[in-house]
Amino acid sequence: MTTPAISLAGVSRRFGALQAVRDVSLDVMPGERRAVLGPNGAGKTTLFNTICGDFPPTSGQILLFGEDISALRPHQRTRRGIGRTYQTSLLFNGLSVLENLFVAVRGLRPGRFSFLRPRGSDTGMAKARDIAERMRLSHLLHEQVLNLSHGQRRQLEIGMALAGDPRVLMLDEPAAGLSPGDRPELLLLLRELPRSLTLILIEHDMDIALPAADFVTVMKDGQVVVEAPPDRIEDDPVVQAIYLGGGH
Amino acid sequence: MRERVLLALGAFALVALLPFLLAAILPANQAQFWTANILGRALVFGIVALSLTFLATYGGFISLAQMMIAGVAGYALAVFVEGAVPRVVGGLGYLAAIPLGLLASTLMGLLVGAIAVRTRDIYLLMITLALAMGVFRFVETNIAWFNGYEGIRNVVGPNVFGRDFRDPWVFFYVALGTAALLLVGVLYLVRSPFGLVLQGIRDNPRRVAALGYNVALHRIAAFGVAGFIAGCGGVLGTIYNIGISPGTIGLGATVNVLIMSVIGGLGHPLGAFLGSLVFTVFDTFAANLYDRDRFNTLIGTVFLVIVLLSPDGLTGLASRLRRLATGRRE
Repeated sequence: MTTPAISLAGVSRRFGALQAVRDVSLDVMPGERRAVLGPNGAGKTTLFNTICGDFPPTSGQILLFGEDISALRPHQRTRRGIGRTYQTSLLFNGLSVLENLFVAVRGLRPGRFSFLRPRGSDTGMAKARDIAERMRLSHLLHEQVLNLSHGQRRQLEIGMALAGDPRVLMLDEPAAGLSPGDRPELLLLLRELPRSLTLILIEHDMDIALPAADFVTVMKDGQVVVEAPPDRIEDDPVVQAIYLGGGH
Repeated sequence: MRERVLLALGAFALVALLPFLLAAILPANQAQFWTANILGRALVFGIVALSLTFLATYGGFISLAQMMIAGVAGYALAVFVEGAVPRVVGGLGYLAAIPLGLLASTLMGLLVGAIAVRTRDIYLLMITLALAMGVFRFVETNIAWFNGYEGIRNVVGPNVFGRDFRDPWVFFYVALGTAALLLVGVLYLVRSPFGLVLQGIRDNPRRVAALGYNVALHRIAAFGVAGFIAGCGGVLGTIYNIGISPGTIGLGATVNVLIMSVIGGLGHPLGAFLGSLVFTVFDTFAANLYDRDRFNTLIGTVFLVIVLLSPDGLTGLASRLRRLATGRRE
């Protein structure tokens, strides 16, 4: 039997009196593309933060390819193969596009503390340029990130998450704030991701989420309420009730 | 980037010519006074302020412990060097005692960084101030190691190519060389993987952790680097003053370093030296200009005027003027 890439067993996260994630159990298989849908406040981002270690679970267990990572700190989880983006772009505004990607590449390599500048032949720098090309940012390598458009910032976010060659990539609303013209570009980027990569995607926009996903998890009030393939999601009465406000 | 290094080196090359200019236009005793007591002292203060601007500009950490850390280097030198009065440990020549002082300040920097590792903003300011004042009170009351209130005297410095270290020209050029090396070192370091990650921590520590970095360790290491820089200033300052006493690391001295950094501006490390020069000039001539006892009023007014006119200090003002001039040309 194949070991799931991510396996959650009874994961909960509480903030004082607020139960943001409640007893979530799910398995995401290696290479699977999983979309996590749900209304605002459903607990999707908190679930992401719990998996990535920003908010460790109050109870339950998180396994990454069979290894218990529940008690690890965020950088330790990243070193074990989790890459992520954020709902609001978290970039290094004072650095250039190339420097952002270089920092991202270097995060999982020896020499993180190096006091020596990278030479022209540095493999990390070459990889940063390569990712910039894949993310269609080659023409902006030396541009300060502060000056990028919103769409370019989202592309850079994904590039930085990919820089460490993650085994599991978690994208938190990559289409948030994108103009309709930028969305097809994003969908293309998602489709170009290698099939060996496990992808977990939070997205409000069904036109982005459903074509990109193999399987969909719908959350409400911190709980998983529906798990189904994408072609059955839009017709699901529970999903319709959540999104259209009907009874079920 | 290369432009910033060239700007810094150009500024230092100009400063290197100043003693010759002063000797040409002023009587010998006044030229010596300006060379050592104004320019030399400004460079020493500037090195300590550089350690603060390095942390603030590239890490986003404003530390009030830098003068205390400089003092740790000075005290370590005074405790171990032969000839200091009173003799505490002694026995070491300057060649061994100076590196020992720098090691002590680097270790103190690492310790301050480790203690303050979870704090930011006002809380970091308060915890570093508390540590600085704790060490100040400790050395002030400890007789056995630090000779209490009186401190340790007769730290005269080594001979440099057969000349007394306290010769105004020798002192000035050693201070200038040290400052230039440290400034270029900082400008180099901030483009290294370590420096880029430090700037990443300034912009977004959560993202840095999500990329696999141990943010806490990087922060502590940055404080260690700043400790080494401050230590260089501490060693030079101790030799300039022919010793060290608790007043060197008291509250006034601690705040003065912050004032110098803000006057100079945190946008470019060169600001530390501009700020220290303005401060030293006012500190020296306050008595002539107004009243020695009203120095704080005077420097406070200067501080207010500069901050009101240019919140990012003299370097910020220079950048704006340059942009304005460039715009006009275009």
